[in-house]
Amino acid sequence: METLLNGLVRGAIYALIALGYTMVYGILGMINFAHGEVYMIGMFAGILTLAACASLDVLPFGISLALAFGMAMTISAAYGYTNERVAYRPLRKAHILAPLISAVGVSTFLQNFIMNAQTKDKLDFPQAYSQPLVETTFQLGGAQISLLQILIIGLSVALMVGLQLLVMYTPLGKAMRACSQDRTMASLVGIPVDRVITYTFIIGSALAAAAGMLFSMYNSVARFDSGYIAGLRAFTAAVLGGIGNIPGAMLGGFLIGLIEDLTAYHYGADWKDISAFCALMIILIFRPRGLLGERVAEKL
Amino acid sequence: MNLLSRWRFAVALTVISMGAILWIPGGCGRKTERIRIGVAGPFTGAQAKIGADMALGAELAIEEWNMRGGVLGGNIEAIRGDDEAQPKQATAVAQGLVADRVAAVVGHFNSGCSIPASEVYNDKGIVMITPASTNPKVTDRAYKGVFRVCGRDDQQGSVAAIFALEELQAKRVAVLHDKTTYGQGLADEFTKTLKTKGLETVYYAGVPKEELDFRAVISAIKATSPDLWFFGGIYDQGGPLLNQAKQSGLTAPLMSGDGLIDNEFIKTCGKNAEGTYLTFGPDPAQVPAAAAFISTYRAKHGEPGAYSVYGYDAANVLLTAISRTGSTDYAKLCDFIHSNKFESAMGQIEFDAKGDIKGSYYVMWIVKNGKFEVYQTPGGVK
Repeated sequence: METLLNGLVRGAIYALIALGYTMVYGILGMINFAHGEVYMIGMFAGILTLAACASLDVLPFGISLALAFGMAMTISAAYGYTNERVAYRPLRKAHILAPLISAVGVSTFLQNFIMNAQTKDKLDFPQAYSQPLVETTFQLGGAQISLLQILIIGLSVALMVGLQLLVMYTPLGKAMRACSQDRTMASLVGIPVDRVITYTFIIGSALAAAAGMLFSMYNSVARFDSGYIAGLRAFTAAVLGGIGNIPGAMLGGFLIGLIEDLTAYHYGADWKDISAFCALMIILIFRPRGLLGERVAEKL
Repeated sequence: MNLLSRWRFAVALTVISMGAILWIPGGCGRKTERIRIGVAGPFTGAQAKIGADMALGAELAIEEWNMRGGVLGGNIEAIRGDDEAQPKQATAVAQGLVADRVAAVVGHFNSGCSIPASEVYNDKGIVMITPASTNPKVTDRAYKGVFRVCGRDDQQGSVAAIFALEELQAKRVAVLHDKTTYGQGLADEFTKTLKTKGLETVYYAGVPKEELDFRAVISAIKATSPDLWFFGGIYDQGGPLLNQAKQSGLTAPLMSGDGLIDNEFIKTCGKNAEGTYLTFGPDPAQVPAAAAFISTYRAKHGEPGAYSVYGYDAANVLLTAISRTGSTDYAKLCDFIHSNKFESAMGQIEFDAKGDIKGSYYVMWIVKNGKFEVYQTPGGVK
């Protein structure tokens, strides 16, 4: 029961990150390998903001946290936007491999940039801001669930539902769906394709930052290479659910989280990557387009 | 080849040979100038803090020797080699120090680094003294130029196990390690002693050294309802591990080895660290010979780290040997270190045939009121 809960919490984080991969893929058909780094930058921005709040010591607890979330999401969104403008947009017309390699480059650049500009060491999450949430616990069917875990799952689900609503019921969402079906046609009917893509990157990055903030709070730590592993697993989640498909990314995220935690619990931490990737392979053999499929007619 | 390209070729050749000429006197000049001592350990990365503390101790010893006029009529120079706590990097660092013609090496920090690096030093005939690598294999290969001024994990693991059984009356013990030479080695020695005393562990597993998310293994440990759990690893993982364990409601006390004894651990864990048991050497503050070292170090660099004094001792042993034998010859240094007693800040030390110190002993420490201190049994210092 407790393992299921841990798996769900981790899965919620993966799902949030996976959304960014899936949205970009849905529109551009490109895998944004730098997405994990944007998530890591969210971690750092959040922690640094909280550290600043702690040293100033004027803002109340809740407002500091909200401010940190805001800063993390804003800064990550800025990074996501810049990445798109600098590294991907100039290559829009190039061969499909060009932006892919460019993304790998951006990923390496960001990782090393944070390592040099911030620290090679781990960054501790200020405990004053996570402890109260951790210490408030509830009993749920024999397992203990902390307020922080509820916050992680609740906030992730809320953000995912929000995103789904945005995509389905707003003009921007309609434009995104149009772009994912056919970029050329969309631009012919007057949709500002580049601007839609920019928004996609900004939204995806902000979601990743929220995930980063939550996860560093949960694990009490952030490191410059945190984004790599999380990004890889979230990407797996996106593929598992069907890349380009938003509900698929959520489902994939939860599944990967659960598989990893159940394996680590029963067979040891060494086996969790093996089982997660085995599950991916088996599912791809039977459903090459992922669990929910890449919706061909309406990818996003 | 036409005339022009021949000219170019000649010019290029001249430039290259001039460069080469510049190189030679530089190389020769260095050799007589100074005695160089390599100081190797993790100076960047997650273990940078503990590595730097060790190096500062060694460098303090070198400064003191220089103030007294150096050795062999020249000043001593410390050359740092950063192995980033990576075994692969350690070999490269060792080769780099050899190329820099160091007379001897203080280092490395991690057992997993010291072992491959010692192969290089042994090949090239360079003495190394590690202030911190406790894995038995470091000296069990009986290389004649490999020494350590700290204890061994078989001693450490058994002290921890006996303490767990006798002092804490542990009945259900879970064991976790970081899969490195040091961490797993220590966990294995701990488990082995428990077994010879008739106690099987209820849980035994490793987590990769890069992992920072331990929720699943913590659940598994919790499910075995231990009354004590042991972690073989270093503070960079130990801190987040303990935090997550406390958050998940694992209330059993944590026991670990000398890898957690750094203030970073307490900084990361805050009050979660309270009551954590660690095995380590005796408290320098209680060793009279260390008083001078502690006050000098404090004046220069602030509070000494756990390994500062060991770095200091290792460097002093090397420099004493160099000055007393009057040479940097490998065989002479090895013989001298093997056959003499040394006055160190941790008391008098003497090396056995393998290169371990004779009669090294571990004591149990505990985190209390945000500080590491030697565990006091009701009957006095144990």
